[in-house]
Amino acid sequence: MRRKIAYPLATLGMVASSLAVASSPAMAHGYVSSPPSRQAQCAAGSVANCGAIQFEPQSAEAPKGSKECNGGVAAFSELNNNSLPWKATNVGKSATFNWVLTARHRTATWVYYVDGNAIATFNDNNQIPAASVSHTVDLSRFSGRKTVLAVWNIGDTPMAFYNCVDVNIGGTGGGGSTTPTTPPTTAPTRPPATTPTTPPTKAPTTAPTATTAPTSTVPATGKEWAPGVAYKINDVVTYNGVSYKCRQAHQSIRSWEPSIWTLALWLPL
Amino acid sequence: MKRRHVAALIVAAAPMLLGACGTARDDAPPPPAAVQTQNVKNVSEITAGSTFNDTDVMFLQMLIDNLEQGQEMAQTAAKRATRPEVADLAKAVQVTQADEIKLMKSWLAEWDKPAELDERVSLHADHGGMPSTGDKEIASLKTVKKAQFETAFLNLFLAHQHNAVEFAQLELDKGGNELAKSFAERVKQSRTDQVQQMLKLLAG
Repeated sequence: MRRKIAYPLATLGMVASSLAVASSPAMAHGYVSSPPSRQAQCAAGSVANCGAIQFEPQSAEAPKGSKECNGGVAAFSELNNNSLPWKATNVGKSATFNWVLTARHRTATWVYYVDGNAIATFNDNNQIPAASVSHTVDLSRFSGRKTVLAVWNIGDTPMAFYNCVDVNIGGTGGGGSTTPTTPPTTAPTRPPATTPTTPPTKAPTTAPTATTAPTSTVPATGKEWAPGVAYKINDVVTYNGVSYKCRQAHQSIRSWEPSIWTLALWLPL
Repeated sequence: MKRRHVAALIVAAAPMLLGACGTARDDAPPPPAAVQTQNVKNVSEITAGSTFNDTDVMFLQMLIDNLEQGQEMAQTAAKRATRPEVADLAKAVQVTQADEIKLMKSWLAEWDKPAELDERVSLHADHGGMPSTGDKEIASLKTVKKAQFETAFLNLFLAHQHNAVEFAQLELDKGGNELAKSFAERVKQSRTDQVQQMLKLLAG
């Protein structure tokens, strides 16, 4: 179509791997987003003290054959640390694993391990995968808390991508539905005592239910802008002494503060 | 710091405050605070200044392409998402990125560079895999079953925003224009935080 453009992935890959201090050419990248893998929990800010992986959950890349959560990449050793507060997602007799692929590459296999044994293998026959990939894996012979190792074996390089996904099998008998309706029982998993090396950029996600509470327009009016707040249209905040009115409902994040860069969200009053 | 200048710009209507990082146009002062929406909404009044290198140009060209694809994805999500949180995120992304596209195109025009990627850049493509989001995948969001839409959209858009972070990091490492780099930092932050939101939305 109009898009004849290709991305200089080799260039970008070098940048990404320089972040990770990884030595391999990073030609493909990906991770399991749901049920949330350990790197997904790091990137989501749900687990603190994750080190570098939180900025590039897609980069746990190492030679094929590892059985470790980090694939043996020392820079991502936090992924192997079972004492971090990883949330185990309740699943039924099976679970559907969804992948985020930031760069797609020819794929040999996708393999899922429990207790060191391969329990499911999906052979892609060296094809380029679709943009989003999901696999439903039978877990009926297990129960209770398990760590599933999900491995993406690349077809034309010696590399693979490693993910550990903590699940609680038979936790609710969800029957392997893709969207578990389980309430987030583990509320803020952030350990309160520890001081994260990186400043907590996210305010604790204020109750998303606030969108339905009509009275919440009052407290939002004239308050200082803050990240992590669900702002609604016509909410008024102040920022650097100036008042702004919200023009588009959104959950506030860093760099979406009212300014000339974000006039689409905030109208100066 | 720079951000504070920009905020002050609105207050004081003093375009020269941007002089530290770029050249503000004399003939395009920011409008007074209380005027019409359309008049206020003009990020292209932020000028980048004449110092730039190849990475700055490549960054803007790649990100414009990324954002134009993103507009299509976000538009679809605004219509098809089931949860209001997902629809709101898509709409907020849509409006902020529309301004970013305007801003970047005006900088490239200022530098007399095309807004599309040139051949030289695309030569690298044969070393790597496919970009995460092609036209086919974006189009598939319109046909995927409603029940699977949010999972499909969030996974695809996560990859897309991760890509934008990679572009921004490239600019931060190798860019030459200070305002473009400060913009890259904003891109890195906003997409990183959007990733957080989307991962939480995926986790249900």
